Amino acid sequence: MSESVCLEAKNISLTFRARRGFFRYSYHTALDNVSFDIRKGETVGIVGRNGCGKSTLLKVLADILKPDAGELVSHVNYVSLQSLATGFEKNLSGRDNAILSAMLLGHTLEQATAALPDICDFAELGDSFDEPVKTYSSGMRARLGFSTAMLMHADVLLVDETLGVGDSRFKKKAEAAILDKINSDQTVVFVSHQSSQVERLCNRAVWLEKGQVMEVGDTKTVLNNYQAFLATLPNPQKRK
Amino acid sequence: MQYSVSSRRFWQLVLVKAKMNLKAEAAQSQLNYLWWLLEPALFIGVYYVVFGIFLNSRTDDFIAFLICGKIPFLWFSRSVSNASNSLVAGGGLMNQINIPKLFFPVVVIAQDLVKTFVVFLLMLSIMWLMGYMPNPAWWAIIPVALTQLLFVSSLAILFSALVPFLPDLKFIVGTFIILMMFASGIFYDPAQFLRPEHRELFMLNPLAYVISEYRAIIMEGELPQWAMLARTAVVSLIGLGIAITIIKAFDSRYPRQVLQ
Repeated sequence: MSESVCLEAKNISLTFRARRGFFRYSYHTALDNVSFDIRKGETVGIVGRNGCGKSTLLKVLADILKPDAGELVSHVNYVSLQSLATGFEKNLSGRDNAILSAMLLGHTLEQATAALPDICDFAELGDSFDEPVKTYSSGMRARLGFSTAMLMHADVLLVDETLGVGDSRFKKKAEAAILDKINSDQTVVFVSHQSSQVERLCNRAVWLEKGQVMEVGDTKTVLNNYQAFLATLPNPQKRK
Repeated sequence: MQYSVSSRRFWQLVLVKAKMNLKAEAAQSQLNYLWWLLEPALFIGVYYVVFGIFLNSRTDDFIAFLICGKIPFLWFSRSVSNASNSLVAGGGLMNQINIPKLFFPVVVIAQDLVKTFVVFLLMLSIMWLMGYMPNPAWWAIIPVALTQLLFVSSLAILFSALVPFLPDLKFIVGTFIILMMFASGIFYDPAQFLRPEHRELFMLNPLAYVISEYRAIIMEGELPQWAMLARTAVVSLIGLGIAITIIKAFDSRYPRQVLQ
């Protein structure tokens, strides 16, 4: 595995401002002085509790949000954020949505059209592929989104909670597909609530708490410390 | 792989997205695409009833005069009001992918352009039925419509670029459109009702000018005043340039702005 760095987060801070009333605002710091590297070919897991800034961090890495302070140094061409159901339109068929979604993720119309049989196949939608997406169950919708996102080739793949899609059988298939990418030297940054998934898939982990990096390093060590931290929290039901 | 406004892929995406939006919109009503024609036809029907039957003092000419003003105005009002909210409406999507934000108003403009094309054909057919014979001067509708497209795009993009920062502006957009309706001579003939010294000022409004040209071409078979048309096109083009500059300058701020 090569050690060359593809993305560097340098002291990134980001604050959201929310309108609260007549010219009044409240502020929420989502990321606070976050620094770490992502090296080529590795799989990095980002763990942390709800609202700790994981998704915001992925958006910064994908260059969607610009940080208020610090910078993102990118040594690659294309970083793709794989979220489910990118730009889905409920009145269109699964087929149309797959085309649109693939194009929004950066494919040309020709590439998107050529990939349709594979998408339909992988998502196991059968004849429903030509039905409007509003008739789909949430599992079907998630499968379609995941399958479309899966065919995207990017230098760095940012995956947000994707593996929780569909029933347990499809979940396995989805995980296998991600593993395939990981094994083919794809660089992956991966956000999940499930420590077990991170442990299985990732070489390294980043633990975020209240927008700050608590620890970066070997997956096992970071997860152990993260679990130990969760155990100290007053409400154990909230743990995962 | 990243989208840029100058790439072929960007415009391909705009076309596909506009097409899909039209398809999705049509799927939401029983009569589908028929509404593209029915909606303006209903407008014209109302005018006919109000002005042709109840206010009987008006002549057929006046109904034709109204149609030639109202249909191009509908294009303007629809595009500007739809586009003004396009960045806010696209907030979810722009938080998922990194795309030039110009994408959002341009898709709306493209969508309305397709509908407008069909509606213009309807307008010309009705004018023909009313006895205004098609003649070679009608080809001049194309450059006039292109000029209008520049003007419509410039305001549509400008409002879309500003509304995320000034959300209250969307209330003003509606008022602005009504103001433009009165300032463009839809219901009255500026040549008749305005003082001569005000007429030139009036025609500085690109919408008022193009509407007067549509009427001259369709109803009188006159060719446009090319110098004036070129001047209006250049002014609109400059406006479009300014609007695009603004939306590009704030490109990276919109994803957060629309969430706030």
